[in-house]
Amino acid sequence: MALEYEESKQKIIEALQKKSKSKSKFYFSDLAKILDAKPREAKKIVTQMVQEGILEFWSSGSTSMYGLKGTGKQAGAEHEDG
Amino acid sequence: MAFISSGYDPENPMKDRITDIGPRNFEEFYPPVIKDNKGKWLYHEILQSGVLVHVSETGDEVYTVRAGGARLMSVSLVREICDIADKHCGGYVRWTTRNNVEFMVDSKDKVQPLLDDLQSRKFPGGSYKFPVGGTGAGITNIVHTQGWIHCHTPATDASGPVKAVMDEVFEDFRNMRLPAHLRISLACCLNMCGAVHCSDIAILGYHRKPPMIDHEYLDKMCEVPLAIASCPTAAIKPKKVEIGGKTVNSVEVNNSRCMYCGNCYTMCPCLPLQDKEGDGIVLMVGGKVSNRISAPKFSKVAVAFIPNEPPRWPQTAKTIKKIVEAYSADANKYERLGDWAERIGWERFFEKTGLEFTHHLIDDFRDPAYYTWRQTTQFKF
Amino acid sequence: MAKHETPLLDQLESGPWPSFVSDMKQEAESRAKNVNNVEFQIPKDVIEDLMGVLELSYKDGTTHWKHGGIVGVFGYGGGVIGRYCDQPESFPGVAHFHTLRVNQPSGHFYSTEYLRQLCDLWEFRGSGLTNMHGSTGDIIFLGTTTPQLEEIFYEMTHKLDQDLGGSGSNLRTPSDCIGQARCEYACYDTQDLCTHLTQEYQDELHRPAFPYKFKFKFDGCPNCCVASIARADMSFIGTWKDDIRIDQDAVKGYVNGEFKPNGGSHSGRDWGPFDIQKEVIDLCPTKCMRYENGKLEINNRECTRCMHCINVMPRALRPGKQTGCSILVGAKAPILDGAQMSSLLLPFVEVNKENDYQEVKDVIESIWDWWMEEGKNRERLGELMKRQGFQKLLEVTGVDPIPQHVSEPRHNPYIFWKEEEVPGGWERDINEFRKHHKR
Repeated sequence: MALEYEESKQKIIEALQKKSKSKSKFYFSDLAKILDAKPREAKKIVTQMVQEGILEFWSSGSTSMYGLKGTGKQAGAEHEDG
Repeated sequence: MAFISSGYDPENPMKDRITDIGPRNFEEFYPPVIKDNKGKWLYHEILQSGVLVHVSETGDEVYTVRAGGARLMSVSLVREICDIADKHCGGYVRWTTRNNVEFMVDSKDKVQPLLDDLQSRKFPGGSYKFPVGGTGAGITNIVHTQGWIHCHTPATDASGPVKAVMDEVFEDFRNMRLPAHLRISLACCLNMCGAVHCSDIAILGYHRKPPMIDHEYLDKMCEVPLAIASCPTAAIKPKKVEIGGKTVNSVEVNNSRCMYCGNCYTMCPCLPLQDKEGDGIVLMVGGKVSNRISAPKFSKVAVAFIPNEPPRWPQTAKTIKKIVEAYSADANKYERLGDWAERIGWERFFEKTGLEFTHHLIDDFRDPAYYTWRQTTQFKF
Repeated sequence: MAKHETPLLDQLESGPWPSFVSDMKQEAESRAKNVNNVEFQIPKDVIEDLMGVLELSYKDGTTHWKHGGIVGVFGYGGGVIGRYCDQPESFPGVAHFHTLRVNQPSGHFYSTEYLRQLCDLWEFRGSGLTNMHGSTGDIIFLGTTTPQLEEIFYEMTHKLDQDLGGSGSNLRTPSDCIGQARCEYACYDTQDLCTHLTQEYQDELHRPAFPYKFKFKFDGCPNCCVASIARADMSFIGTWKDDIRIDQDAVKGYVNGEFKPNGGSHSGRDWGPFDIQKEVIDLCPTKCMRYENGKLEINNRECTRCMHCINVMPRALRPGKQTGCSILVGAKAPILDGAQMSSLLLPFVEVNKENDYQEVKDVIESIWDWWMEEGKNRERLGELMKRQGFQKLLEVTGVDPIPQHVSEPRHNPYIFWKEEEVPGGWERDINEFRKHHKR
């Protein structure tokens, strides 16, 4: 069953906002868990959210994470906040 | 320096965006002799060090001249390579998997002019731009990582030690006197983004001090849960710290669990670990990736630590030279360094190379350690 | 006069091996002179500052770079590595100094026309320094500023028909050996398979949804020039099923000293005349060969295709005609629990262009489905295989167990039997048991 986009988007935004006090970056598997979806289904949602500028990537070079665009302390630390 | 737009519109990143097109197709880049004979090659021969001929069932021949180069390469030098390839090779050139440049020509009479051209080109400082060699039973170019020129967690430089070591073993780049080919690789920290763990000789940068903690700024610049999660050995815990009468959120590091990987520094700039005395080089030996005669095998640690000695890393270069000479003198024809060490026994390896055996060389890291201890009475005095 | 004194780096200009320091100086000078009036989009003296900060590292023995994780091009999770200098006041030219990974053409073949286009772009919008190539195989563009990233990507995709490579939890840029393009040993077309799968899996390469990195490498034969068995989560290694092709006249040619053994690779030393018994027959790991009465015989059924005899006598011996590849899986560098080589999963797979390599793709996708669901964050495939067992890998890929899968059978009898494998299952009646066994 395909996931409904708007509903899934809200689920992710809410879940990420709830945790935003302690951390802003999440593994892909965390997002799939929020959606309770298979990875390939979750990826479609996440990709669209990136395209819409809601989510952004963070990469350690070896590993990638996702976060709500502009949130978290990395942007300041990396001087990419303005 | 006026900004010149490519056509990209930052307000509308998806406009005219092209994505997912992948690399250019290799078929555009084959020289004609390669295109015509792909899959039809019968045999090859190394005519002299750095010069190969491949003979096709069509009767065609391709002559390849292999030249070493630094992996760090300027566009000026790449353009010079293009000039050479335009002049001699019909406008085509390729690189090997080990940072060598290969110039190919389709007849023998074109080889000598190409060789003369390559050998004549030198940098003002005196080094060759395109030394020819790196074939057969010798030492070819060192594959390596970024080091101090670009990486944030290196324990040594890469380009510098590579230059120093290649100068030291240069004759073996241009000669084929060794029992078999010998592959040297360098990775500037234990994360090994250049996987060196199956090399005849691996030069590995290694930190020996756990990270420092910039308590005052940590909570401002880093997210504590991410710093904790980044540690592969679970050595980092949250901690409240007093700074100037104020309590701030920070972390503590269990130093005895730290393996100095720097992953926490990647996540959090308030956990730097680089250190002049702490950082240096580990030498590993005896690995291989080929299935020839014996199975592929991992490199083993032969020297636990050599300090960084910029600019020319003399101890590292001399130690490698010593290993190469001992191997060259004692191994059988076709025997790789690791096969030689196994045949004579590691006790003899240390004797013949003159390397010191210390407790650091006995594995004590997790499960695989036991399998490297000696479970037999067969050993040599 | 150089912007920064570099007495330590200057010592790396001497000696015969190509000096990266001399090369950097030449590029710095070229930018300073700028004879072609390039409108540099990042500081003109970027290389002077890079040499300055490198000299500082040579002095104090530590790096001066910080990692940056946010920068990239829109919609892609990989291909750009963020870098910032930790001494930006002293070296403003390299305050931002990000890397781009450019997906190399398979086999690293180039036309000079294309290389010059890359050079022009990178001189204009970046430092003019590259790596040819990075460890994974990409062309590396070393050092540019944040605003230039999208501009470079736009020009690259629009004018050069060229995409970025992978980084992070992506499919990493696949790479291959020279293969059939110029090697008589190659058992399949490594360039074609490498390019085909790179194109097929563009989404996996650019948009990270894996637990960690994932690498494909393609070796045309068991000599493994691209080190797939040590470095790739999936190693595609050429092999053959039928008999090694022998040209007996050429064998005699080697025995008579007409041809140099091993393609002349040992000519730097006098190893004495070629001795086929000592150099080929006795070194054969399975002892499946003999040379008698001027004739070489190979018991091909016992041959494990190590390539030694073929490497020594390339004019006389060739791999068979029934070629394909072995697929091995799970290699990784030592971090964390130790290095792993790839383990044999499929001894022989047809590498068939005609059906778009469907057989290969089926294996890849069944493995990804498993790893994406079961893999922990930052767990490589090889580690998942260790954690859940080789049997699980067989199950998810639908491969039947065969002795070729192991170097030897297990050392312990602690077999986790499945309930359905044991007659009657595990549910038993304790009361029935008690009828015959007192408490």
